Amino acid sequence: MALPLRKVAIVGIGHSKFGKRSDVNLPELAFESIKGAIDDAGIGKEEIQNVTLGSAGGWYEENLPAVVVNEYSGFKGIGTSRVEAACASGSAAVRSAYLSVASGEADVTMALGLEKMTEVDTLTAVELIGRSGSYLWEFENYGMTFPAYYALYAVSHMSRYGTTEEDLARVAVKAHRYASMNPLAQFQKEITLDKALSSQVVSWPLKLYDSCPISDGSAAVILASEERAKKISDTPVWIRGIGFSSDSANLSKRADYVGLKATVDASKAAYSAAKISPRDIDVATCHDCFTIAELMAYEDLGFCGKGEGAKLLRDGQTEIGGKIPVNLDGGLKAKGHPVGATGVSMMVEISKQLRGEAGKRQAPIKKGVGLVHNVGGTGHYCYVTVLSRSN
Amino acid sequence: MEAEKPTLHSRRNLNLRFNIPISETHEFWDSLAAGRFVTTRCKACGKVTFPPQADCPDCMSSEHEWVDLGPEAELLTFTYVQITPTSFVDHDPYIVAIGKLKQGVNVLAWLDGGDVTKLKPGAKLRIEIRKEPGAVPYYTFVPTA
Repeated sequence: MALPLRKVAIVGIGHSKFGKRSDVNLPELAFESIKGAIDDAGIGKEEIQNVTLGSAGGWYEENLPAVVVNEYSGFKGIGTSRVEAACASGSAAVRSAYLSVASGEADVTMALGLEKMTEVDTLTAVELIGRSGSYLWEFENYGMTFPAYYALYAVSHMSRYGTTEEDLARVAVKAHRYASMNPLAQFQKEITLDKALSSQVVSWPLKLYDSCPISDGSAAVILASEERAKKISDTPVWIRGIGFSSDSANLSKRADYVGLKATVDASKAAYSAAKISPRDIDVATCHDCFTIAELMAYEDLGFCGKGEGAKLLRDGQTEIGGKIPVNLDGGLKAKGHPVGATGVSMMVEISKQLRGEAGKRQAPIKKGVGLVHNVGGTGHYCYVTVLSRSN
Repeated sequence: MEAEKPTLHSRRNLNLRFNIPISETHEFWDSLAAGRFVTTRCKACGKVTFPPQADCPDCMSSEHEWVDLGPEAELLTFTYVQITPTSFVDHDPYIVAIGKLKQGVNVLAWLDGGDVTKLKPGAKLRIEIRKEPGAVPYYTFVPTA
């Protein structure tokens, strides 16, 4: 975006515990993050001029979640909408809230990510996500599932580049190790390579431990203009660039099955907008809904060459102390993946990292730049957002 | 594990089935019933699309004709689905494959009769049409012997 847009910063972050949250209903779950973000910013809720909700929906009882959540939290008469970009709905909400401030329409806005997926039984959730493609040609007769979509990529990547099931399992082991240091993560225990490799096959070659869980959760960020941000926060995190792209609904229309073109295109746009290269990134969240997705993300984001994702992981380059630490919050795999909340959760994590507030799982911050990579569906949508300590 | 908390099980059940219009592409379904696997080709620019579509995504012409596809295909990738969705719970686990046809289009379908432990991208397949009593016909891949 080359328009004379205003600078925008994240000045407040809120994040619920992720997991099976049968202790709260939909607006109560949202309230945890809304309250958290307002408290973190230290402003009154009346200062927030509009709220954009990222939520895929369908697995909870409300059809108009934005107004239900706003009513509960006392956002009376506020401008609002729900946006949908599947698992990237959270990043899409941040983009809307960002544009509202950047354009000069508002000075302070909120992006909220929210999903409650455990109010239906597991196989119904599997069905609803399985319909995330081209229904008549993929689901009606062939019963595609979300793991199956990514398994098509895993088989192709393994065949082309020699990636192994053990390489995939290593992604899960790393995710669980960092999740064990994140009290908000769904899973709190480390796992062994053997445990991952011997888990139940879901859609070969992907197993239970190659797959993110079905989760409830929320996350919120408050965005402000430069003038307001400097008054509200001592540690503003600036949105330096957003790139977004998409690919075919029907997977059979893709040119190959070894990477996500939407990630390649969205990241190029984001790097260009922020005037950075992958080498400038101190810490990243990558969309690891399945283990193969994290390895492909390393490659598609330019952290390594095509086909070298498994080696980058094996060499420890995506851990703390490596070239580019990835998913130090446990990732979707072990932190949990409440679909619409995930993109906003990633913004919260990178903000914590850039503010130096990530505790035991803090990455060394040298250039002050972090990356959020958020995919919707199987590369159907992709949003890449560059965050920075400096504007 | 966290202890289960009290929940209210909703009393109203929602059963969704959709009436999907196929008037623009009914030739595809009619042809399947007659044992032919066909798709659309744009009369203006010649683009072959699968799935069939009435309007050309390249030149936006709505003039199309029907052409035969297959049956030979090359396996691009596959997966063996073992955890199946609610509406497939009565099915045995199934192999889903994407195959490339000679006409340059890819097709996603089940692969019947393959030995999943020996299957590799590049394998030769062919499309077969399946008809079950009382159901709309569908197509599947089978390995070429």
